[in-house]
Amino acid sequence: MKIGLDLGSRYVKAVFMEDGRLVDYRCYDTLAFYREYGRKVDGELVVDYERLGWPTGAAITSTGYGRNLVKLAGGQVIPELRAHTRGAIFQTGLSDFTLLDLGGQDSKVIKVAGGRMVDFRTNDKCAASSGRYLENMAAVLAMDVAALGECRDEPVELSSTCAVFGESELIGQIIEGHPIEHLAAGVNRTIVKRVEPMLRELYSPVVVFTGGVARNQAIRAMLEDALPVQVILPAYPQLNGAIGCAV
Amino acid sequence: MADKIGLTTTIPVEIVYAAGKIPVDLNNLFITCDAPGRLVDRAEQAGYPRNICGWIKGLYTTLLEQESLRQVIAVTQGDCSNTHALMETWQVAGVAVIPFAFPYDRDADLLRLQMEKLMQLLGADWEAVGRWKKRLDQVRKKAHEIDRLTWEAGVVDGQTNHLALVGCSDFNGDPDAYEAYLDGIIAEAARNSTQGLAGDRQAVRLAYVGVPPIVSDLYSYVESMGARVVFNEVQRQFAMPFDEDDIIEQYRRYTYPYSIFDRIDDINREVARRRVDGIIHYTQSFCYRQIEDIILRQRTAVPVLTLEGDRPGPLDARSRMRIDAFLDMLAR
Ligand code: SF4
Repeated sequence: MKIGLDLGSRYVKAVFMEDGRLVDYRCYDTLAFYREYGRKVDGELVVDYERLGWPTGAAITSTGYGRNLVKLAGGQVIPELRAHTRGAIFQTGLSDFTLLDLGGQDSKVIKVAGGRMVDFRTNDKCAASSGRYLENMAAVLAMDVAALGECRDEPVELSSTCAVFGESELIGQIIEGHPIEHLAAGVNRTIVKRVEPMLRELYSPVVVFTGGVARNQAIRAMLEDALPVQVILPAYPQLNGAIGCAV
Repeated sequence: MADKIGLTTTIPVEIVYAAGKIPVDLNNLFITCDAPGRLVDRAEQAGYPRNICGWIKGLYTTLLEQESLRQVIAVTQGDCSNTHALMETWQVAGVAVIPFAFPYDRDADLLRLQMEKLMQLLGADWEAVGRWKKRLDQVRKKAHEIDRLTWEAGVVDGQTNHLALVGCSDFNGDPDAYEAYLDGIIAEAARNSTQGLAGDRQAVRLAYVGVPPIVSDLYSYVESMGARVVFNEVQRQFAMPFDEDDIIEQYRRYTYPYSIFDRIDDINREVARRRVDGIIHYTQSFCYRQIEDIILRQRTAVPVLTLEGDRPGPLDARSRMRIDAFLDMLAR
């Protein structure tokens, strides 16, 4: 049994793999995870596996944002982008593609050629193409994130510069009287506009889309409209980093 | 005691010494003080916008807080257009500002004219400037030797290399003491090499290009992850790495104030010579050099990681994650 752990900024994802098969997985709120199951001993994070109810004696490999903040006692740590690359290769069976990972607070684009990461971009200090941005905008539109992810027609033009200013801009557009669906499509479109330059720079005809935002169908379709690419959604987009740790 | 005179970046410092004055590079003063972040805060309290480069804000407060500095040489062309407004806010505060312009097209006559105006203003003549050039070149030679010990012999680390070269903008106001400091580094390196303490030969070899970092732990972090910085681009330029007798030519060959293309030629040459595996291009948030990053990426032969810094302090978690990924990619 191998355990892969992705210590994300919003969620901690754990997968349990046996003989190269995913047998189980769990998701925890990041803050709650550290509060309830972790404690620091000599600068290392000790996780209370018993309380978590995880199988004992399994090899644990972790990665993620938290990797920079904590070392998991008794576990191995691998760099985040390596974990994502490995996860995507494992999940799709492909070795040449561009990985687009849009997570809770950040975005990553990784070019994979011959089964190796050859280049990457990540957003710098900005959450405007992340899941957090979509959640905020959905809240302003009083829709749930899943419903927002279905809106792709007649997107209202929104500037895509900033997650915070985006909110007041959206409110302004609501006052203008645009239909909610068109505004929601506009929100999805801003994400595509932000990642498009990175995907062009690290172009591959196949884009593997992971992270929480990958569930948004409208963004997937818009990406295929904007670029000559085929967008592939692996079976577990949100668990990709954790899977990459356990393979 | 001789008058002190502030500098916003490297200028023909021979002239300042020839005039019997002590140059003080404000950048070095700012970043080595106890709490550089506080200086940036002060500038913001004075009304400097949030979205302006941290170096500019740090320089602003650094000068105002130094009672002994009531004069500054500010580079108005060849560095940063923010410097213009920086000069003006200093003038309002009663500081005497002396502008200096590196001609964009490297015109030798214009450069000579700029230097002569500066000499006239400070009271220096060509004879004394020539003498100081010879003296400073002796000190610079030692900085070049430290650079060679870094990339060729592998017995000086990237941070020490950075400090030794970056300080050649003003020689810390005392070339003799600076030379002794460089001698100390060379002696230490000799001890390391006789004890076989050369750096890990398998380590990933990095170039650091762009303005010096505002973050405090970049070198130590990179080296703790098993990589070595074997080329500090702009810092090396501050030490005038040319065997050049003519002082006008020296400041024409100095790449930093001119176009990105001259810098890229220098970078590519050194990357090949020093067998560099990857480049870290450091830029400041809100700096026009972030635009030049586009060109740099197109014209260099090895992978480039662009890092962005804003305020003084340690690297943030995101930058560390990006460095980890980059080193991981280069190591495989
Ligand atoms: S880093 Fe850029 S913006 Fe800042 S002072 Fe230098 S040139 Fe100007």
